[in-house]
Amino acid sequence: MTFVANSTLSRGSRSGWAEALRMPPIVALSFLITATIIAWSIAPQLFTTYSPVVGVPADKLLGPSAAHWFGTDHLGRDLYARVVYGTASSVSSALVAVVIGVLAGGLIGLLAGFLGGWVDVVLARLVDVLLSIPKFLLAVIVVTAIGFETINAAIATGVSAVAIFARVTRAEVIKTRQATFVEAAFLSGGSRWYILWRHILPNASRSVLPLAVLQFGESILVIASLAFLGYGDPPPASDWGLLISIGKDYLKWPWLVYAPAFITIVTVLSVNRISRWLRKTD
Amino acid sequence: MSNAYLTYAAKRLGQAVVVILLAYVFTFVVVSILPGDPITSVLRNPQNGFREEEIAEIIAAQGLDKPIIVQLWHSLSGFLTGDLGISMRSNRPVSTLIAEVLPSTLILASAGLAVALVLAMLVAYGTRFVPKRYGQGLLRGFPSLFLSVPNFVIGLVLIHLFGFQLGLFRVINPDSFWATLFAAIALGIPISAQIAEVLIANLDKEAEQEYATVARSRGLGQARLFVSHLLKPASLPVVTVIALMIGELLGGSLITETVFGRTGIGSLVQRSVSTQDLPVLQAIVSLGAVIFVLVNLVADLLYPLLDPRVKILGGRKRQPTTADETSIGPTRVVMP
Repeated sequence: MTFVANSTLSRGSRSGWAEALRMPPIVALSFLITATIIAWSIAPQLFTTYSPVVGVPADKLLGPSAAHWFGTDHLGRDLYARVVYGTASSVSSALVAVVIGVLAGGLIGLLAGFLGGWVDVVLARLVDVLLSIPKFLLAVIVVTAIGFETINAAIATGVSAVAIFARVTRAEVIKTRQATFVEAAFLSGGSRWYILWRHILPNASRSVLPLAVLQFGESILVIASLAFLGYGDPPPASDWGLLISIGKDYLKWPWLVYAPAFITIVTVLSVNRISRWLRKTD
Repeated sequence: MSNAYLTYAAKRLGQAVVVILLAYVFTFVVVSILPGDPITSVLRNPQNGFREEEIAEIIAAQGLDKPIIVQLWHSLSGFLTGDLGISMRSNRPVSTLIAEVLPSTLILASAGLAVALVLAMLVAYGTRFVPKRYGQGLLRGFPSLFLSVPNFVIGLVLIHLFGFQLGLFRVINPDSFWATLFAAIALGIPISAQIAEVLIANLDKEAEQEYATVARSRGLGQARLFVSHLLKPASLPVVTVIALMIGELLGGSLITETVFGRTGIGSLVQRSVSTQDLPVLQAIVSLGAVIFVLVNLVADLLYPLLDPRVKILGGRKRQPTTADETSIGPTRVVMP
């Protein structure tokens, strides 16, 4: 009996996976780009032979060529190498921001939606307060409070994303809580926390995933903005925002701005496209 | 003006006041956990060259020697009576510092909003008139493209193309007409994306409604249908979206001002961050929250009057207007 049920279940889910993996070419390309970016951040040395820190002064401010794909900067450093080596910090800090947003926001939303009553009222006000402070301003004062470093910029970005995750999780939890199967679980004697863990969390997390992916893209932008203003790691770090910020002083050699900006935009576009696809297939 | 509306309005107003007060306290808590106390980091910093008696005077004036809760009470009661305190750096009232730079930021922000609205309308209404094979899909892709471009990049590209190459404006003169216009474009493009997304979704939704089918069956052309039937119901929710975008406008002006070298709230924030001028930061962040809450309050109060289809449910909750509750877009899910 159990065996039969299991076999139909796994077959069902396998065809579901096949269905889910069929994607439009643009989405496939987005996955490819995202995979490349992740590879850059894990093993930058595989993608370039140049050093991101030591340059050849004789080769300074060269235009893009076969030898230097993105040209060279004012110290003769290969810009492509700097972009590739800057990926790790740009991408992983965006990841930190999203994790903070999902965990803190998800917890707030989960408790507010599940417990209801005064807990909900108190947490709702907290979320309103977080929403009322302009997001970027919030990120700026948080990063000022804890110090100018890329990891702190990531934490600040995460804090500014807590409210949106709390809202979405809460709405999902309330929707799931009213479902018949949750009522059935209550009636058959499931404890509150068991039901929260077993039924509500998995269902609520489904719509949090596309939001998390979307927020990942936005976090890349916010962290780049903070780095641009000089609130991240100082040079010779090569975060994308910092590269653009350095490039702006050399506008006569526009690739110093355009190349890192292009990589940032393409990454965020791909991530957003994946998020939209996830939302649609859900 | 039904009774339900007045109850709703009173509740919303009360809620707004509570949120503003809490936002002030929240900001105070964040700002006062700054590493190292301001006495050592700013006042005793030899670079700033304060004399001992000056330091004592500033400490006394700012109440820095009192317990944190007393400082909070002092600061909050000052805020409620319109006294924003005194800058630690320049020894001038914070309200004067803000008043000096506010007009420039307001000009930039409103110009940016205007650009965003025009652009969003062009894109969204364009999707109704551009046929599928002539790039409607491309037009529909614009919002997500705009959303993926950091506004400092747009600013730099505009400066490079129009400032350096075409010589339309000079970066040394950031308040000239052209410089302001391009700053507004840089600020407006990312914001237009979110407005356009909502507009497009609403236009699609309205076009599928039965009344639209009826109008089409009566032989109404695309243009007439759009102007006399779809335009108004699809555009109304934008009021709510604009209110939500106020925060983005303020945050965006911060960066745009830096890129274009404008003096404004953004440059004041930058300066206060680097000198750890806490009273100024506290005041600007709380003012941001006040503006955001008030604009949203007005939008929420106006909305039921503009759109009679919106029912106030039991005086406490209104229908989500832009999309369903679970969607990711700028949705209003009013927490009861």
